[in-house]
Amino acid sequence: MTPNRAVAPWLFLAPGLLVFGAAVLLPMALTSAYSFTEWNGFGDMTWVGLDNYARALADPAFRASFAHVLAYIAATLVLEVAVGLGLAGLVSMRPGRLWFRVAIFTPVMLPMVVVAVLWSFVYNPDFGLINAGLEALGLDGLTRIWLGDPATALLAISVVSGWVFAGFYMMIFYAAFRQVPGEVVEAARLDGAGEWSLFRRVKVPMVRHVTAVAILLCVTGGFQGFDLFFVLTNGGPYGSTEIPTTLLVKTVFRNGEVGYGSAMAVLLTAIVVGVGLAYIGLGNRGRARAARAAAVTAAGDG
Amino acid sequence: MSQQAGQLAGPSAGRLTRWLVSGLLAVLAIVFFFPMVWMILSSFKTDQAIFASPFALPTSIDLGVWAEAWEVGNLGAYAVNSAIVTGASVLAILLIASAAAFAFSRYRFRGRSMAMGLFALGLLLPLQSYFIAQSNLFTELAITDTRWALIIPYTAMGLPLAVYLLKVYLDALPEELFDAARIDGAGDLRVFRSLAMPLLRPGLATVGIFSALAAWNEFLLALLYIQDDDLKTIPTGLLAFSSRYQTDYSLLFAALSIVTLPMIVIYVAFNRHIVDGITAGSVK
Repeated sequence: MTPNRAVAPWLFLAPGLLVFGAAVLLPMALTSAYSFTEWNGFGDMTWVGLDNYARALADPAFRASFAHVLAYIAATLVLEVAVGLGLAGLVSMRPGRLWFRVAIFTPVMLPMVVVAVLWSFVYNPDFGLINAGLEALGLDGLTRIWLGDPATALLAISVVSGWVFAGFYMMIFYAAFRQVPGEVVEAARLDGAGEWSLFRRVKVPMVRHVTAVAILLCVTGGFQGFDLFFVLTNGGPYGSTEIPTTLLVKTVFRNGEVGYGSAMAVLLTAIVVGVGLAYIGLGNRGRARAARAAAVTAAGDG
Repeated sequence: MSQQAGQLAGPSAGRLTRWLVSGLLAVLAIVFFFPMVWMILSSFKTDQAIFASPFALPTSIDLGVWAEAWEVGNLGAYAVNSAIVTGASVLAILLIASAAAFAFSRYRFRGRSMAMGLFALGLLLPLQSYFIAQSNLFTELAITDTRWALIIPYTAMGLPLAVYLLKVYLDALPEELFDAARIDGAGDLRVFRSLAMPLLRPGLATVGIFSALAAWNEFLLALLYIQDDDLKTIPTGLLAFSSRYQTDYSLLFAALSIVTLPMIVIYVAFNRHIVDGITAGSVK
C-alpha cells in the first residue's frame, strides 16, 4: 500500500464531500443551532435554550399542522399506494398497454406547480370539471367550492396527490408483480384460483417488501409535502390545510421568526428521519425472519 | 399450459374477465387523462366559452393563443433557465457522484464507512432540515438571485441517491477487470476515466433521468432563492404568470399545455428508461 493509494480515494471523494458538506450538512447544523435562539435573520441573536421547542409543542397551529399532514398521509396511503396496487393488478392482467401507462404515469413527470394550477381549474366553482360534471349528472346539490370549503379542501388536495402518484406506485408494483415466478402463478391457477384470489392471495403477499417501501415513501414524502398545498390553498381556508412546511415557511420568511421556524424544521426532520430509521430497523428484522422462514421451508422440502 | 388451465375453468368466464379488465382500464385511462385533454381543448376556447360550456369542443384550433402565452408568459426564458439549471446540476451530479462511488466501491480506506454513513443519512434527510440556514448562507454570500442558488443545492440534494446507485452498479463489475487494468500500469485516474466511467453508462443514464426530473420540477427552493423574473425556472415562472393573468383562462390553459406536452412526448419516447429511472431509487 503506497501513500499514493491511501490518498487516492479521498481525492475522488473530495468534491462530493465538499458540495454535500457545504450545501447540506453545514446548513443543517446551523438550522439546529438557530433553533435554540430568537433571531429575525439579521439583527442580534439571543440564546433561548429550549424555549422554541416548548413553544412549538404547545402551539395549536403547529399541532394542527401535524393533524392535517397525518390526515393527508392517511388519505394518500389509500389514494396513492392502494390505488396504485390495484392499478398494477389490473395492468398485470393485460400487460403491454402503453397507452394506459402513458395516461396514468404522465402526471408523475409534471412539475407539481403545473399540476396544482391545472387542478385549481378542475376545482374551479364556475367552470371546473368537477362541478360541471356533477351538474351534467343532475347532482347539482353536491357542487361546492372544493378548495374554499374547510370541510373539503384537505381531501381535495389529497385527490390531486393521488392523481399524480397513483401512477408512480402502480409502476413500482407492476415491476414487482413481474418478478413473481411464473410457476407460482401457474400452480395457483391449476388449483383453481381466479384472477381476484390470485391477486389477493398470491401476488400481493409476494410483493410485501415492496409494499413496505411504498408505504415508507408515501409517509416520509407526505410529511415533506409543500408544492400542492402552497399553490392550491397555502394553508387556507381558515388554516384547514396548514401543514408543517407551509407553516414554517410563513414563520421564517413572512414573520421573520428564524429561531422558532428552525425549531419546527428540526422537529419535522426528527420525525422523517425517525420514521425512516424505524423502517430500516423493522426491515432488517423482517429480512432475518424471511431468511429463517426460507431456511425452514428449504429444510422441509429436503 | 396456462391456456388449457384457463379453458378448464371455463372459456367464456376467462374471456369475460379479460373484456371487463380491458374496459375498466380504458375507463380509468380516460378518467386520469381527462384533465389534460380538457386543459388542451380549453386553451383553444374563449373565456366565455370556457364558462358557458366546460365540456364543449373548441370551435376552431388556433395556435395563436399558444404563441401569445409563450410571448406574454415569458415561457421561453423560463424554459432556458430550467434547461441551464437542470443541465448543470445533472452534469455535476454525474461527475461528482461517480467519482465518490468509485472511491467507495474500489478502495478500502480508513474513514470509508463514516463517509458512506454521511451520504446514507442524506438519503433520509428532508429539505426542511437545512433550507432555512441555506437561505441565510446564500444571502450572505450574495448567491441568491443567481443560477448558482439552484445549481448548488440541486447538485447536493441529488448526490446521496446517485452515489448509492452508482456504487451498486460498480460493485457488480468483476474485480478482475480492474486488476487487469492496474497490471497494465493504468493509474487511479486512468482506471476511473477509461474503465469505470464507460462501464457505468447505463447507471449514469438512470441517475441522469431522475436527477433531471427532480431539478426540472423543484419548486420550494426556487421560490425562496429566485426573485428575479429573468432567472425563474418553469415552476416558479409559471406560478408568477398565473398570478399575473389570474383570470385569463385560455391563456393559462395554453401555458399549461405548452409545459405539459413535451413531457408526454418525452415519456412516450423513453418510457422504459424513465420508469426505470424514477422507480430505481425506491425498489433497490
